[in-house]
Amino acid sequence: MLALSHLSKRYGTLQALRDLSFAVEQGEIFGFVGANGAGKTTTMRIALGVLDADAGSVLWDGTPITFASRRRIGYMPEERGLYPKMTVIAQLEYFARLHGLNRGAAHAAALPLLELLGLADRARSQLQALSHGNQQRVQLAAALVSAPELLVLDEPFAGLDPVAVDAMSDVLRAQADAGKPVLLSSHQLDIVERLCGRVGIINHGAMVACGTVAELTARGPVRFWVDVPNAGPGWFDGVHGATLIEHDGPSWLIQLADGTDEQGVLQAGLAVGPVREFRRDRPSLTELFRSVMTETSTNA
Amino acid sequence: MLDARTTFLDAMRLTLVVAAREFTVRIRSRVFIITTVLAVLGIGGYILLQAYVFNKPAVLNVGFVGGAEQLAAPARADMASLGITVTTHKVSTVADGKGEVSSGTLDTLVSGSATAPVLTVQTSADGTLQTVLTDLAREEVLNGLLAQHGIPAADIDRALAATSVQVDTLTKPLSAASVQEIVIGVLVSGTLYISMLVYGQLVAAGVIEEKSNRIVEILLTTVRPWQLLLGKIAGIGLLALAQVAAVAVVGVVMAAATRVVTVPTVGVAVAVGGGVWLVLGYLMYAFAFAAAGSMVSRQEDVSSVSMPVILVLVAAWVITLSVVPYSPSSTATTVLSLIPLMSPLVMPVRIATGDISLWQAVVGVVLAIATIYVLAAVSGRIYRNSVLRMGGRVRLGQALGLRGSAMAGASGASDAPAARDHLM
Repeated sequence: MLALSHLSKRYGTLQALRDLSFAVEQGEIFGFVGANGAGKTTTMRIALGVLDADAGSVLWDGTPITFASRRRIGYMPEERGLYPKMTVIAQLEYFARLHGLNRGAAHAAALPLLELLGLADRARSQLQALSHGNQQRVQLAAALVSAPELLVLDEPFAGLDPVAVDAMSDVLRAQADAGKPVLLSSHQLDIVERLCGRVGIINHGAMVACGTVAELTARGPVRFWVDVPNAGPGWFDGVHGATLIEHDGPSWLIQLADGTDEQGVLQAGLAVGPVREFRRDRPSLTELFRSVMTETSTNA
Repeated sequence: MLDARTTFLDAMRLTLVVAAREFTVRIRSRVFIITTVLAVLGIGGYILLQAYVFNKPAVLNVGFVGGAEQLAAPARADMASLGITVTTHKVSTVADGKGEVSSGTLDTLVSGSATAPVLTVQTSADGTLQTVLTDLAREEVLNGLLAQHGIPAADIDRALAATSVQVDTLTKPLSAASVQEIVIGVLVSGTLYISMLVYGQLVAAGVIEEKSNRIVEILLTTVRPWQLLLGKIAGIGLLALAQVAAVAVVGVVMAAATRVVTVPTVGVAVAVGGGVWLVLGYLMYAFAFAAAGSMVSRQEDVSSVSMPVILVLVAAWVITLSVVPYSPSSTATTVLSLIPLMSPLVMPVRIATGDISLWQAVVGVVLAIATIYVLAAVSGRIYRNSVLRMGGRVRLGQALGLRGSAMAGASGASDAPAARDHLM
């Protein structure tokens, strides 16, 4: 488990992180989201141990991350970096060797990984001959080639097409399924929503929301979409605590006050005619993110 | 203890992995292959030119016919004393002789009489031969006139033979061998100068490459800055050594085979000394170039940021060229050869001319190593503080860690965990 506790970091006058805490469990993909400059990259660098926090601690399986243990971490920085004129395979072997593998093991590790990422036929190409998406796959391969026990990936999906996103998601899910903690950041909230077991939203260096996708989207008001073709205005007036939010033809979005039973609304609907649809309105992660950002900004 | 040793071995292993990448990637590059081939062809061509054009022995084939024949022996002797070899041929008729001049087997035909020789040549007569023959003919005329007045020719010859100009030399002249030694020394020194300049800038460009494509951020998660710096300098240094060795081997073998160089004893000392001073000189300048490179983030800035280092190197070369070849054993040369940053360029000349004592050689090497140590420490610090600072040019004060800054944490990134490691 990777546990970050009470991290604070200041760059001159800028408070980059404020008392930030969260943990990534074994086999869990933790998605880290936030606006540009919110502190994601700083957090990841601190998690990796290449940057020191002013306060707080990072513990991996109970011990601080050292220079030696960093070899067991796969890291994909926000600023991509590979050698343009080196071949793909030589590049991966080099990173594997810097993580402590010998020449034979490095070669043995690189080939199947390229196979897995669909790059086997490009193994002997120079990196600069590859498309942007394929270069990004090589970057992921470079993070995975040493068979790391922890993955820290800064914006792994940036600039990828949907097919490449799926391929990369599959690989990350497989890594998590093998029991590794995976910490990633992304601006693509739909991918985070699909892929990540838990999500942390960071704003101005502080964690403003953290939990499973279900927990986060369950926050906020309880609203239901009810599709009642025969209903006219005021059909649910009898239900105490129900208010209309939106009305679009036969579809009604109704918000329920705390403690209001949604079955009352359903019965009121059935009383005026058939109910074609009755479903909980869950905000997407994107909507949640927007509302959280607005809340915390106005509070700040 | 064992842990410390394992850590050290592991650190060395990582440095070697870095060095191996630098070496193998670059040695396969087209630029390296082309420049090496050109350098080898250049040195080979230079030696062949020396061997077959400039050093071509001047042998003059001169045919004598009729009365002029008695000039053959004295002409050959006089020409030999002037350093020109003449082969004399006896020709039966003037027509035959002219035929041989046209066909090229003879350079010159001397016909006519001993007192009035006639030269037949293809286009122009050899000036020295013409002068020598004129003198000989005049001597014959003079001998004839004196004989008419009863003075025997033998007496005159005896008197003339005893007459010569005496030369007093105040300074010992340079022998052909010592000129050759100086030329060899300057050639080696020039090779070192070019290598240090080219490969030093390659180090700067390599540092900037890793910084500009941000790969350094990944590298520094598992490699310490000093390992990365040392590995890069070692790998590129081996490349320089390989290229110089290729040129040197071709040069030495061809020079020996064509007998352009006739001072073989110098060879071993110059080869070993040149190799040692290439390594020392390269290391001095490479650390400085690496530090300069780490302070900028864009490849376009490589020349401006390495300019101070280049200026020092060029100045050292200009001073070397303007002092050392003209007075290889002077005090000035001795002093210059001991000054670090200059010594790699001056020492090869002193080794070639054999004007160096053992203690001076040792002092020179020790001073160079001390300088490398200091430069490596300062460059290591600049590199460590600058290599993760992206964006604009890093100020020297920040690079040396003299001024605190917002990004101090990022720059010292790999150090703090290192310190923790040592405590554990």
